[in-house]
Amino acid sequence: MVPGAKRPRLTWIKSRASLGRRMAAMQGRILRQDFLGGLAVIGVAALAYWLARKLPASAAGGMGPGALPKGLAVLLGGLGILLLLNAFKSERLARWSVRGPLFVLGGLILFGVTVRPLGLALAGPILIAAAGFASSEVRWRETLIYGLAMTLFCVGLFKFALGLPIPLAPWLVGY
Amino acid sequence: MELLSNLALGFATALSPMNLFLGFVGCLVGTLIGVLPGVGPIATIAMLMPLTLKVDPTGALIMLAGIYYGAQYGGSTTAILVNMPGEVTAVVTAIDGHEMAKRGSAGRALGIAALGSFFAGSVATLIIAAIGAPLTRLALLFGPAEYFGLMVFGLGLAIVLARGSVLKALIMVVLGLLLSTVGTDLETGQERLTLGIPELSDGVDFAVLAMGVFGIAEILRNLENPESRNVAIAQIGRLLPSREDLRRCLGPIVRATGIGSVLGILPGNGAVLGPFASYALEKKLAKDPSRFGRGAIEGVAGPESANNAGAQTSFIPLLTLGIPPNAVMALMVGAMTIHGLIPGPQVMTKHPALFWGMIASMWIGNLLLLVINLPLIGLWVRLLKVPYRLMFTTILLFCAIGIYSINNNPYDVYFTAFFGLAGYLFIKLGLEPAPMLLGFVLGRLMEEKLRQALALSEGSLMTFVERPVAAALLAVAAAVMLVAVLPAVSRSRQKAFQE
Repeated sequence: MVPGAKRPRLTWIKSRASLGRRMAAMQGRILRQDFLGGLAVIGVAALAYWLARKLPASAAGGMGPGALPKGLAVLLGGLGILLLLNAFKSERLARWSVRGPLFVLGGLILFGVTVRPLGLALAGPILIAAAGFASSEVRWRETLIYGLAMTLFCVGLFKFALGLPIPLAPWLVGY
Repeated sequence: MELLSNLALGFATALSPMNLFLGFVGCLVGTLIGVLPGVGPIATIAMLMPLTLKVDPTGALIMLAGIYYGAQYGGSTTAILVNMPGEVTAVVTAIDGHEMAKRGSAGRALGIAALGSFFAGSVATLIIAAIGAPLTRLALLFGPAEYFGLMVFGLGLAIVLARGSVLKALIMVVLGLLLSTVGTDLETGQERLTLGIPELSDGVDFAVLAMGVFGIAEILRNLENPESRNVAIAQIGRLLPSREDLRRCLGPIVRATGIGSVLGILPGNGAVLGPFASYALEKKLAKDPSRFGRGAIEGVAGPESANNAGAQTSFIPLLTLGIPPNAVMALMVGAMTIHGLIPGPQVMTKHPALFWGMIASMWIGNLLLLVINLPLIGLWVRLLKVPYRLMFTTILLFCAIGIYSINNNPYDVYFTAFFGLAGYLFIKLGLEPAPMLLGFVLGRLMEEKLRQALALSEGSLMTFVERPVAAALLAVAAAVMLVAVLPAVSRSRQKAFQE
């Protein structure tokens, strides 16, 4: 069984609904879901078209490498405009959070940076420690102990049982 | 007779000790993850794909298929016990299933769900075996133009059957197609849309994209909505349904198997629609419709059977035509490509043991689920008590190790983080990522076939009009999409999805 599981606490169900509602209402007055969505889609389409600008659209006896990227970019841009035009009917934008994405994605990037030089033995606990902060219910000691235990389990499973070539601890054991 | 010898080959393959073991592990692990709330089958398969890296392709696919229906089964378990459907298809099950659980007969609900699923799965396996071979022969007759038409047709149906607005589904499909063009052009070797990043010259990795927009984005969404879990679970009680229950459920199970099988083959949300359609039908047919929603056992048996039948028949387009009908099957394409297999009609002719072995393993998998899950329900329930703050870090670690291990490349982890952010934006903007995944998977094949067709016709687009099958497929795709955006139809479509 996982540590911490034995004593279920009620505190991990924290409600911040009232704050969320207020923020959503505030943002909602300014922005609609599809307005931002349309802009994003048009942006992606424009970027794709710009990146594909030098690729020839036609070649001897058929399509060139640029035909599909350019064609799809134009189509996507058009659809984005349609989305934008109908944006006034769409839902209001929901609340955004920064904490979750920041720590979860940051943890992943840290894992990517550290996995080769430091190996799974350290990259694992680093990921869990960093990502643990994404939750407002984070507890220092629990996260650390859990991270170490989980890493140990993963080393056993992926490195030894499955034989995946992921580095273990190059600074210590050389692989 | 050919069918029987094929099935015999399949069972011989699937029953080899190694494959049996892999199927067992797949079902078990799939159920384990499926039970965890907020982790659906797509994330589960993406996360556990690296477990299969070291196995031979047949074993890997058998295990992944096991993970898939294991996860589905796990989702239904939580739907019944704690009213937390692990995924969309179990939403309907939760209505009456949890009501039954509140009245102390959770065991009967779980039992009938397992039995119904087993029946539906067995029938669906036979359907796959029966129409697999003829469909494959048909697909082998298709030229590039017909194939292109077929894929456009598939995507068209997927757009129409997607949840939410047709426009948004279309946008996501086009975005997926556009993403599939990233990387080195196969014919000329030119780099396309790579932003000068050398790691992108092979294109975006499918597992990376799927893990990002489904796995990571799902974590980010769950972190925002800490759901209260009712961990105090009522008595499970007797597992075996009574004779009266079976009598009541026989009709619904048979009807649901039919509905689910047919809808499962359709691209897009076909397999998801099955349970909803079955529930609606049984409610209409019932003598006393008011029982539904208050713990009617038919309301569990029907949707669960439809769900399982659809999950299984959705393998048909993948295995015979090489066209994944939904996001889970798109992931299976990813898994096949990792193992060097190109999905399509040639799988059956070139690797008959793999094809039939996988089909046979589905039936065995259903049996395994029946045998292993019912005794383990107590364990699954205890799993639900693990707090999310510990669970998501574990999922994340598995994802990171898995993604890194596919190519042993840290860049894949960075790209996954990027697509995780993209997936989070999609959630906020109300864009469903599943159609994008379909577009992405089909994109490369579509471009290849399109260019082949145009090379054959010396650049003339008329080839798609002159070849009757291709023309018909494209025309139907266009017609279906046009009809879906007509105001009257789109209103009733919205209504249908709300139900």
